[in-house]
Amino acid sequence: MKIDVQSLDTFNQLAHEGAQEATRSMTQMTGIEATVEVTRISLVDRKDIGEELGNDAEFVGVQFGFDGALTGETVLIFEREQSAAIVEALVPGGMADESMAQSSVKEIGNIMMSGFIDGWAEHLGTSIEHTPPSYIERQGKDVLPEGPETDEHDQVFVFRSEIQWEGEDVSFYIYMLPEYTPLTELMAEHGSSGTDAIPIKKLAAFNQMNREGTRRAAENVEMMSGIETEAEVSQISFAPIEDVPKRFGKETHVGTAVEFTGAPSGFLLVLFDEQSAITVAEGLMPVDMDSDELTDQHKAAIEELGNIMTSGFVDGWANVLQRSVEHTPPRLVHDMGQAIIDPLAAQLGQHQRHAFMIDSTMKTEELEFESKIHALPNEQELRKALDDLDVDRADQTEADADRLF
Amino acid sequence: MKIYDGSESGDSEETTPERIKVGIAEYEVTADGATLTTSGLGSCVGVALYDEHSGAAGLVHVMLPVADEVDDGKPAKFADTGTELLIEELESIGANKRGIEAKIAGGSDMLDFSEGGSGIGDRNVEQVKETLSDHNISLAGEDVGGDHGRSVRLQATTGDLVVKSANRQDRTL
Repeated sequence: MKIDVQSLDTFNQLAHEGAQEATRSMTQMTGIEATVEVTRISLVDRKDIGEELGNDAEFVGVQFGFDGALTGETVLIFEREQSAAIVEALVPGGMADESMAQSSVKEIGNIMMSGFIDGWAEHLGTSIEHTPPSYIERQGKDVLPEGPETDEHDQVFVFRSEIQWEGEDVSFYIYMLPEYTPLTELMAEHGSSGTDAIPIKKLAAFNQMNREGTRRAAENVEMMSGIETEAEVSQISFAPIEDVPKRFGKETHVGTAVEFTGAPSGFLLVLFDEQSAITVAEGLMPVDMDSDELTDQHKAAIEELGNIMTSGFVDGWANVLQRSVEHTPPRLVHDMGQAIIDPLAAQLGQHQRHAFMIDSTMKTEELEFESKIHALPNEQELRKALDDLDVDRADQTEADADRLF
Repeated sequence: MKIYDGSESGDSEETTPERIKVGIAEYEVTADGATLTTSGLGSCVGVALYDEHSGAAGLVHVMLPVADEVDDGKPAKFADTGTELLIEELESIGANKRGIEAKIAGGSDMLDFSEGGSGIGDRNVEQVKETLSDHNISLAGEDVGGDHGRSVRLQATTGDLVVKSANRQDRTL
């Protein structure tokens, strides 16, 4: 079974329109003006679903099951502390009464999610039934449904939309987790099965390739610092090219960027938030530094760290692909997140309308920090590389010398 | 309020909030003094138009220079079609083209890996200027180039364009 880029785009668009429909329903009901910020499809390891929600934040919302052309679970959630604003908009004074607050959340969730599901069914020209909503409140990623059984697959597709309330610091999230097989069958049906199709098995293999890159990057950090480093989450997302920078927000980040060449070519970013950059530079590098502010010394350390993480990641790819992948020397960046990614997306955007994006996160037990690796490969070259990829090789972590030389 | 609207967008100007966010490859116009903002301009360019007489103002966040190269039916994504679209939309809410002034920000060359020739940021800026000049719209201010990102805020009551950068002081055009 193959999925082509066109059908990924169609499904991304579907999820986006569904979220817009849900948002319109909410606006009608509450007068709250909100917009759908980003929608993306990700192929995620089942255990990593919802990693971006963390473990601590408290979420409330509603959950539905759906069945028909697509089968699975979907939720609409928002942070508990933000729910007051929504409940008050619905039922003034409603927060005073816990059951009233819950039923308000349930009601708004019901209206929004019916719009969301109906939108899908309508576009697909099919029927999708859904169960009545159930109210949920849980912490962090646990708020999301378990995710469908993956059978022989390690990964599941996750559709995620972020809806922002204009002028307020309130975001809603819609997650949809369809079962793998019906979804991919539908995708295959809605694709053109043309030359840009990617065998679905290879997309999963590509994810494994990224895990290998991430693992090597972590290994390099560990080798340099002597601190045990854990590499987590590797996911591939797919979105219109102009949506790629939107995910990064205004916060200032520090890190490195390189262009890599080979098959595929593209860009690789290693990014830290400012506080993590300071912590990491002082904790991992053998240089004496102590400052609350980011100094040139910190930046030099980050540049070095970015360099070894990049090399590790690229080596991981090269190993699985059995090709050499070269990269430029890293360039240090220190700027607003969105502004950093924007020129890279634009450079790719000269040749493609959509982008695959690979995200990995790295952490250590000893230090409180987070570092993200983002790869943005050239779409056409990625397809070619996947085409050439011997799927079984993606499982191998050591290069086979006989086959290499 | 949005009675002149064609089919170009589903914006809801009738309940214009005080502050309207403009995303990448999007535009917004206002005839009643809202503040239009867009953030994270790297090589992208924010084009702000303002007609003092009618009070109409608009902001577009363009990403690539020329629509022809990768036409995908999203005019606000490109410097040429995005600027043209904004001019049209401004006229449709009452602006007189001869009274429109432009201010632009962005077009940085940070992280430009292209070899030789000018980078995307430069080409975006050049294309915006060319399109403005084709329509005889004067450029009243610019904060472009360099190697840093920017966010902008267009105050439609005054036409002021406030430019923010991560490591620099705010600038008002």
